[in-house]
Amino acid sequence: MSLVYRKSVDLLTVAKWIMRREIRSLSSLPEKAEEKDVAVEEKRHIGRRPRPQNPMLEYRNVYPEFLPDPNPNWRNSLREKLERVDMLKRRNQINIPEFYVGSILAVTISDPHAQGKTNRFVGICIERKGCGLRAEFTLRNVVDHQGVEVRYELYDPTIQTIQVLRLEKRLDDKLYYLRDALPQYSTFPFDMDPEILPEGTPVPINPVQVELKPRPWLERWERQELKGISNIEEYLKEKDRVRRELRKTPWEKYDLMKQYRKTIPIEEQNEIWGEVYNQLQQMKTSKKKITRKRVMSAPKSQLG
Amino acid sequence: MATSNLLLLCNSFNKLSVSNVVKRCCHYRPPRYRPPYWFMPKERVVSEDMLTQENRDFLAEVKQDKHNFQHSLESPLTNVDTPQTTEWTQSTRRVGVIARKIGNYPLWTKDGKKFQTTLLQVSDNHVIKYIPPDEFNPMKSKKMKKEPWKEKRTLGCLLVGAESIDPSTVTKDYCGMFTKVGMLPKRHLCRFMVSPNAQLPTGTPLYATHFRVGDCVDIRAKTIDRGFQGVMKRWGFKGMPASHGVTKTHRRPGNIGGGGEKARVWPGTKMPGHMGNSWRIIRGVKILRINPEHNVLWMLGVAIPGETGAMCYLYDTVLPLKKLKTPPPFPTQLNSLEIPQEYYDDCIHQFEQPTITFEES
Repeated sequence: MSLVYRKSVDLLTVAKWIMRREIRSLSSLPEKAEEKDVAVEEKRHIGRRPRPQNPMLEYRNVYPEFLPDPNPNWRNSLREKLERVDMLKRRNQINIPEFYVGSILAVTISDPHAQGKTNRFVGICIERKGCGLRAEFTLRNVVDHQGVEVRYELYDPTIQTIQVLRLEKRLDDKLYYLRDALPQYSTFPFDMDPEILPEGTPVPINPVQVELKPRPWLERWERQELKGISNIEEYLKEKDRVRRELRKTPWEKYDLMKQYRKTIPIEEQNEIWGEVYNQLQQMKTSKKKITRKRVMSAPKSQLG
Repeated sequence: MATSNLLLLCNSFNKLSVSNVVKRCCHYRPPRYRPPYWFMPKERVVSEDMLTQENRDFLAEVKQDKHNFQHSLESPLTNVDTPQTTEWTQSTRRVGVIARKIGNYPLWTKDGKKFQTTLLQVSDNHVIKYIPPDEFNPMKSKKMKKEPWKEKRTLGCLLVGAESIDPSTVTKDYCGMFTKVGMLPKRHLCRFMVSPNAQLPTGTPLYATHFRVGDCVDIRAKTIDRGFQGVMKRWGFKGMPASHGVTKTHRRPGNIGGGGEKARVWPGTKMPGHMGNSWRIIRGVKILRINPEHNVLWMLGVAIPGETGAMCYLYDTVLPLKKLKTPPPFPTQLNSLEIPQEYYDDCIHQFEQPTITFEES
């Protein structure tokens, strides 16, 4: 018994040590909001050397698709370089804004079969994945009591505009559970007005927790440790709870090797961002100028 | 009347016949070990040389000098004052290039359709040696000995190497093949059969612009080595059910032979075994885009054999309907300076062009 106790104490000390070393994941995906808060709190508590502020590294959340796939079998520096050049060329043609999973977007594409040859769709972004020119995102909405999901490719030249109607994050990385939630949680009007955030504010996190419909579900949501579901316990049987406990993998967050394999090392990231930083910054400033002009000219048109 | 029509049809079919096309047979062929006669063993046993640091530095300097000298050499074609007298015809065969597969990413057409493409990098290719048709006597297999080759050879052999390497890492014999003609040894060496009028002098560099966009090429490469595989992965058998009383035979082939008079396993029966690491030729792959600066070709499709980083050999296609119609750069393209940044096929949307919109008819 005492041995077991000692072992658990050892584990705790190891965990504490890891937390103190401030080992952070440089994930290619946007970091979880909570992790950030924890990191900030820690810094306050410990009060050690401040983290070197690298503005380039902030870009890994805003432009995650510029980081290549970390699988070493698929990597090639020349291909990645050519891909980035093509991405920047496309970004010069169309404004691809900053958005996250949970943001509400309106996408207009040119469609040869649609009336007027364009098609506009509004929805909540439930996933964002892929690297380089393969980057894609999925929008979900409920139209006429029917759930609709459309997957768009970020660098598809048929996309005319991508407009962020509400910039925010949710509690989870992927919102697939909206498919099993009540339809009110994924219903958004097509004539929604864009909400403008004041400059410099951090991206807000929407703490809304959705209600699931009764079973059957598309996936076993209870096993995925989701924070954005409120009423999952009432649908679970004793059997499900037992299985959930058995399937838990609490050691995975301490698996540094696994984390390393999933991410791009910081030295390589610095190289990549150093290559594209200036162009992205230029695009950002030019975009700001355009929006300012629009704000100035809007009242005139109303008066007229 | 009917017979003459039939003859005409036969004739036209005969014209369509494809020479030298390797049939993709459904049966497994064991690997034939038949090295080319110019082949020399390449791998060397590396031993500790007990050199001082000074000597090491000196050797490194010499290697660097040799490398620089090799790169500063001009193409021997540029110095030739008289242009090539021979013209390209449909029956001539040009030299091919050695390329490295560096990955794949999508391109879009002008009508908004998405194409998956494979990127091939033509890396540091040089012509090593030309062997005229009379002197070219490849090693004959057992089958050939029975029926000796009577037809007169018309094609010569052109050796092409890719990627210069450190001469001290390879054997003396292998290195000697290159030093005889005044080149640094190359990591990859390949043979292309060419018409005598398409021969090239030693040291001619080959670039991605050897091909044009819109042309079709054949690509020969080694497939991914998957090791010893079962019958489901190797031949696509269905296996057996997961339940309903099935025990221990979920991925097995089942019956492999009949009874009675044929009570044996027929030759060529599909069974478990080694899968992959065999040569395969994919024919008629279209080139969609060329970057002459980095020597990169964008090929249509993702079916080019081998994993990312594997080498493959490209040459003009032999498919009769996809053969070159207009004369390509012959015998090869000189790297002239006044070339545009990139070449695109007509159907491909360039990323610097504005967004695709459709007109209402």
